[in-house]
Amino acid sequence: MATTSSASRVAYRLNRFGRAPRITKSLRKDRATHLPIPHVPVLTTREFAPNRLKDHYHTTLADDLMYLTYTHEPSGVERKAPRQIRLKFDPEDPYSKFRHNPPVGGSQVGKKPAPPSTPEDTVRLEKIQIHTFIKESLQNKSALLSPIMMLRALTGETAKGGGQHAVEGIQLVKGRKAVGGWIRPGVPVGAKVDLRGQSMYDFLNTLTEFVLPRLRDFNGIVLPPKSSSSTTPSTVSGVVSFGLPPEAMVFFPQLEVNVDAYPMLSGIHIHFVTNAKGKGAQDKARALVSGFQVPFVRR
Amino acid sequence: MLSRHVLKQVGSCPRAARRAFATEVSSSPASSENVAQSVRPKKSEKPRISTAVILNRSPILTKAPTPFETAFYSYQARIRRALSNPFPHDFYFKQGSLLQTRFNLEERQREKRAFGPSFLPTEDVDPEKAAADKAAVEQLAQQEGEGEELTSRTHKADLTNDVKSLDRKGQRNLYLLLLAEENGKDVWRFPQGGLEKGDLLHQAAQKDLFAECGEQMDTWIVGRNPIGVYKPKPASNEPQDHVFFFKGHIMAGQVHVDGQRVKDFAWLTKEEIGEKVDKDYWEVVSDILSDC
Repeated sequence: MATTSSASRVAYRLNRFGRAPRITKSLRKDRATHLPIPHVPVLTTREFAPNRLKDHYHTTLADDLMYLTYTHEPSGVERKAPRQIRLKFDPEDPYSKFRHNPPVGGSQVGKKPAPPSTPEDTVRLEKIQIHTFIKESLQNKSALLSPIMMLRALTGETAKGGGQHAVEGIQLVKGRKAVGGWIRPGVPVGAKVDLRGQSMYDFLNTLTEFVLPRLRDFNGIVLPPKSSSSTTPSTVSGVVSFGLPPEAMVFFPQLEVNVDAYPMLSGIHIHFVTNAKGKGAQDKARALVSGFQVPFVRR
Repeated sequence: MLSRHVLKQVGSCPRAARRAFATEVSSSPASSENVAQSVRPKKSEKPRISTAVILNRSPILTKAPTPFETAFYSYQARIRRALSNPFPHDFYFKQGSLLQTRFNLEERQREKRAFGPSFLPTEDVDPEKAAADKAAVEQLAQQEGEGEELTSRTHKADLTNDVKSLDRKGQRNLYLLLLAEENGKDVWRFPQGGLEKGDLLHQAAQKDLFAECGEQMDTWIVGRNPIGVYKPKPASNEPQDHVFFFKGHIMAGQVHVDGQRVKDFAWLTKEEIGEKVDKDYWEVVSDILSDC
C-alpha cells in the first residue's frame, strides 16, 4: 500500500519520471548495425531549458531595437523603384541577349535599401558562427585535432547531437582553390561550427560573463573610422565579426578545467549573424549585439 | 528630419513655408487662395506640444516557468539526454581523480532523475570506498562554497506591496507613474512637461523627466523618435494638446518628487497602470507597455 502511494506521488511531479515503462515488445533491430530501431522515425528535441538571454531579448531588447532602428515611411505609399541610371547593354541585342549583363559601374549590392521597418522585421540574432583557421594543418593534418576538440568543448555541439537534426556539429573547412605552393582545393585548413537557439545564447552568455571581462587589453570591438565606406557588401549584410587570440581561450571555463589536454590552443573568429539586410544593416546588428553586453569602441 | 516630422504631425504651418526650395511659385488662382487661407490661423489655436517619458525598469529576475513549461522542458531534456552522444571521460578527467568521482556521482543522480530509479544497474563497489568517495566530494563542495542559501525570489517589497520600491515584481517590466494635479483634480500619468522653444523633442523629454522626478537617478532615453502620441480632448477655446511619448530606462537611483505639483509616484506593471489611469489615456499607452 505504501509503495503505491509513493509511486502516485512521484507520478504527479511534473518533471519526474516515476519508473521507466515496462518493455512489453522488443524493438526491431537494424540488420547492419544490430541496433534497435525506435518506433518513431524522427525524435526531435525542441527547447529543453528556459533561456535567460532569449527572455532578455523578448522583454527588453526587441522593443528598444524597434524604436532605435525605426525609419519612418508614410503608410499606403509604395516605394519608388530606383531610377535606372546605370547603363546596360541592350538585352534584346543578339550579342548580349544570353550573356551576363551587369550594370555599368559595378555591382549595386552595397546600395540595396533596407526593407521597411516592421515589428516582425526587428533585428534579431540568427546564428553565431565560430571559425578557426589552422595554418599548420597544411603540412600536418593532425594539427586540426586540437582545435576540433576545443570547439567541441566550447560549444558542446556534435552532429545531430541530442536529437537535433539540423545541427551539423563541428565542420571541417576545406580549401576551395589552388594558390600557388600554398593551398590546394579539398585540403582541410580549419574548423567551424554554427550555433543556433539555445547553444547560441549559452555561448554568448559565457563570452560576455566570463571571457570579455577578464581580457586585459580588450576594450571592445573596434569600430571602423567614420570615413569608411558605407556601401561595401559587409555593411549591408548584417554581420558583426571579431576575433579572440589564442591567449584569450583559457578564459573560457570549458577550456580552463583541462587546458593541458590541448597541445595547441588556437584563436577563433566569431561572427554574429543577424537578420538585418540592406543599407545600415551592420549598424543595426551592432546595436543588437551591444544589447547583449558586447562592448564596442571607436579608435 | 525630426522637426519636419513634428511639423507634419501638427499640420498648422503655412503651405508656402513647406515648399521645396527650388520650385517656382505658381501663379494659378487656386494656390493663391490656399495661401490666403493658411495665413489665417490665430495664435490661440496653435497646438501645445509636450513630451512624456515612459520610464521602464526591466525585469531583474528570470521568469519562473509555468507548470506546462516545466513539464515540457523536462520531457525535452530527457529526450536530449537519451539521444546525446557519449561523453569523452578520459579526455576531460584524469583517471581516478576527485573531479571524476564527483562527476560520476552527479551524473548517476541526473540519470536517476531523468529515467527513474530502476534505470541504472547497481554498482558493485566496496561500501567503504563509496563512503570515502562521498565524503571527499562533500568536502570539495564545502571548499567551493556550494550549498549556500540563495536569495529569495520574493523581495520584501512584494510582501508589503511597496509600490515605490524598484525591487518589487522582479520578473515583470515596471513603469513609473506620477500622481499629479491637473485642472484641479489628481490624475495618475507618466512624467510629462512642455517643450521650450529651440529644444529638440528627445532633449526636452530628458529635461522634463528630471524636472518632475529629481536628478538622483541614472536614465537613458531610447532613441530620438517618439513612440506614441496622445491628443486629449481640448476644453472649449483651448488649443489642442499633443503629448509625445518616449521610452526610457532607469539604470540606478530612485525618483524624488517635490510633493507640490507632483504628489506621489509608483512603479507599476501594465495591469496596475490600467486600473489607475483614465480610459482614453489607457487606450493610447496600453499597446506601448509590455505584457511580461
